[in-house]
Amino acid sequence: MSLTARARRTRVIDDEPAIPQRGRGRGAYWLYLLPGFLLLLIIVIVPLVWNVYLTFTSWKGVRAPTFIGAANWIKLVGDEAFWTSFLNSVWMVIAMVIVPTIVGLLIAALLFDVVGRKFVGRVGSFLRATYYLPQILPVAVAGIVIGWIVRPGSDGALNQLLGGIGIAPYDWLGQMPSALLVLMVVLVWVQIGYPVVVFMAALQRVDPELYEAAELDGANWFQRFASITVSIIRPEIFVVTLTCTIAALKVFGPVYVITRGGPAGATLVPSYYAYQEFFTKRDVGYGATIATVLTILVVIVSIVFIRVQNSLERKERAGL
Amino acid sequence: MARITGRARVLTAAAVLTAAALGVSACSSSGDTDGGSTDGAGQTLKLWHYEGADSAMGKAWAEAINVFEKETGAKVEFEEKSFEQIQKTASQVLDTDAAPDVMEFNKGNATAGFLASTGLISDISDAVAQYGWADKLAPSLQTTAKYTDKGVMGGDTWYGVPNYGEFVGVYYNKDAFAAAGLQIPTTYDEFIKVLDAFVAKGITPLAEAGAEYPLGQLWYQLALAKGSRDWVNDYQLYKNPVDWQGAETSYASETLKDYVAKGYIAKDVSSIKAEDAGVSFINGTAPIFVSGSWWYGRFTEQATGFDWTMQAFPGSTLSLGSSGNLWVVPQNAKNKDLAYKFIDITMRPEIQAIIGNNGGLPVAADPKDITDAKSKDLISTFNGILGQDGLSFYPDWPAPGFYDVIVQQLQGLVTGTQDAATTNANLGTAYDEGTADYR
Repeated sequence: MSLTARARRTRVIDDEPAIPQRGRGRGAYWLYLLPGFLLLLIIVIVPLVWNVYLTFTSWKGVRAPTFIGAANWIKLVGDEAFWTSFLNSVWMVIAMVIVPTIVGLLIAALLFDVVGRKFVGRVGSFLRATYYLPQILPVAVAGIVIGWIVRPGSDGALNQLLGGIGIAPYDWLGQMPSALLVLMVVLVWVQIGYPVVVFMAALQRVDPELYEAAELDGANWFQRFASITVSIIRPEIFVVTLTCTIAALKVFGPVYVITRGGPAGATLVPSYYAYQEFFTKRDVGYGATIATVLTILVVIVSIVFIRVQNSLERKERAGL
Repeated sequence: MARITGRARVLTAAAVLTAAALGVSACSSSGDTDGGSTDGAGQTLKLWHYEGADSAMGKAWAEAINVFEKETGAKVEFEEKSFEQIQKTASQVLDTDAAPDVMEFNKGNATAGFLASTGLISDISDAVAQYGWADKLAPSLQTTAKYTDKGVMGGDTWYGVPNYGEFVGVYYNKDAFAAAGLQIPTTYDEFIKVLDAFVAKGITPLAEAGAEYPLGQLWYQLALAKGSRDWVNDYQLYKNPVDWQGAETSYASETLKDYVAKGYIAKDVSSIKAEDAGVSFINGTAPIFVSGSWWYGRFTEQATGFDWTMQAFPGSTLSLGSSGNLWVVPQNAKNKDLAYKFIDITMRPEIQAIIGNNGGLPVAADPKDITDAKSKDLISTFNGILGQDGLSFYPDWPAPGFYDVIVQQLQGLVTGTQDAATTNANLGTAYDEGTADYR
């Protein structure tokens, strides 16, 4: 039996007891769901419908909106800043999803295999916690620290360090592509703890006998990682990837505190652009249009992720 | 517990009624004997402002609150707000019962003008006439207090009252000039020679900040150097369309690019914030700083390691500047009469003198009351600008969100991402789009 097949055998989805399905008393389920539906209606559906309506209006946030048809949508199509902001979302996905998930997976596996065995108890917990620390740090505080590190001129910590090896001071946040690069590095740093913690928790589910058997079969660390670890914690990888992708598409705080979309709009992202339209230009209708596009994108991404995950799970159950 | 009998209830009710009657008569008689000065007794004036307690205005208004409470008998319920808080959320709050009675608000088309056009703040023209505030304000200071029905400043209707003024000039480190053997410039040519001299000595002379307002203000000051009052009226009051490839803006953008190229401004200016630029003047790193009078008080306290002065931008009769922020009275205010009384107190010479003696620029102070020598210098420079009708407002005022546009476009200009013509074209597009609703 292959390692992957053995790993799959540890899953017990098919053996889980099914929820009794009875014809009578189904009304009671709906009664329990009612509060949730009501909250969904008030907190999500109504604002969403209102937001979509606003995309067809000119509104300054007070008094009644004026209906202007599809003007905001037409403007959006030809708006260079809007397209720049969505292009930058791709960079945010790289920084908040792809890099943290891959690196987080490796770190989690190493922590589980190496640190977990050699450093037990408090030392192990401390080492795990250090990866999660940036997640706890308020983004405003992180922004101030980063601003101090990459400050222009010879006062900045990074420039001082580089000055020590003879490299001239550089304007990290004032130039492209360094401004985008700094923002991405910060996002990777902030984000990395989340997948590490989730994957660490997921690895607790792995039966140690699998690794022992694999070792006896002569599998090296990477083979064990690829065939056992990744295979078993695939549901968690999906969850992390989905939640991080949504967070990357909606990213606002780090951009607000570190670059404010600069220099010259080069680090603009859709959320910050919508915020500018809402609160500084008071063009609520156009801000709502950007927000609606962002919502549609997030919904599409979520549906695609969930469908792919379900499809893989179905194949897995079928033993394919 | 003592049992309350029917007789006791009657006596208690009588006592309460008597006490209430006495209380009412006490209020009335008090009001009468003081000539109506405590007619606000029992009332509350809800006041919002965002000046720091240690600032000139913060000190003056704290005293105004004391005077107001003593004279009217009303209580002031003061809520300290931040500038951003009022700027971004006031319009929503003003439309509700939670609106204050009197509030400090930023002046200009996109701010106070916007509130005026939406009917969220009151037309206070009658109060202005009743209290005679117009007589205390120079014409160029009145521009930002009066708006049209579309919210364009310079209209006929009073929507606010300013207590102080502000302007942008040039701060010079006199000790650095003396050490370099240079004189404080009085003409633009001399200014450029000074900049060249500092560059030749390896010093970047101008403290600047491209991530925030200072660079945009320098850009507009350069445009003003080539502009006239008519150009300012076109730009700020929409009298005529602005030619964004015209002499004023072309000169401003090209000169700003030159300033960076020649080393007058640091190459990394685009990511520097206003605070860092101000600090580089305070710590003596940069000998010249083009910025506003709002730094004056701080420099007086902190730039103590050298002698310094502030002058209007050389060779230009027009300067950035305006009245300070305005007292406005929301349409939903519950105590408008008390609000007007409070505003009137802030215009009194003794309150104005507090502003003047703490680094501010009072609009109605008695010159004899200004005792601080440094403050006298500042007020004298400001009065010089007022005397030649020089206040020309700020570049971001004409359209909501234009501040961010200016910052981003000038970042593009000084980093070499785009040339002057493209920068001006982009500014023009955003300006035309942002002002379309007001024309």
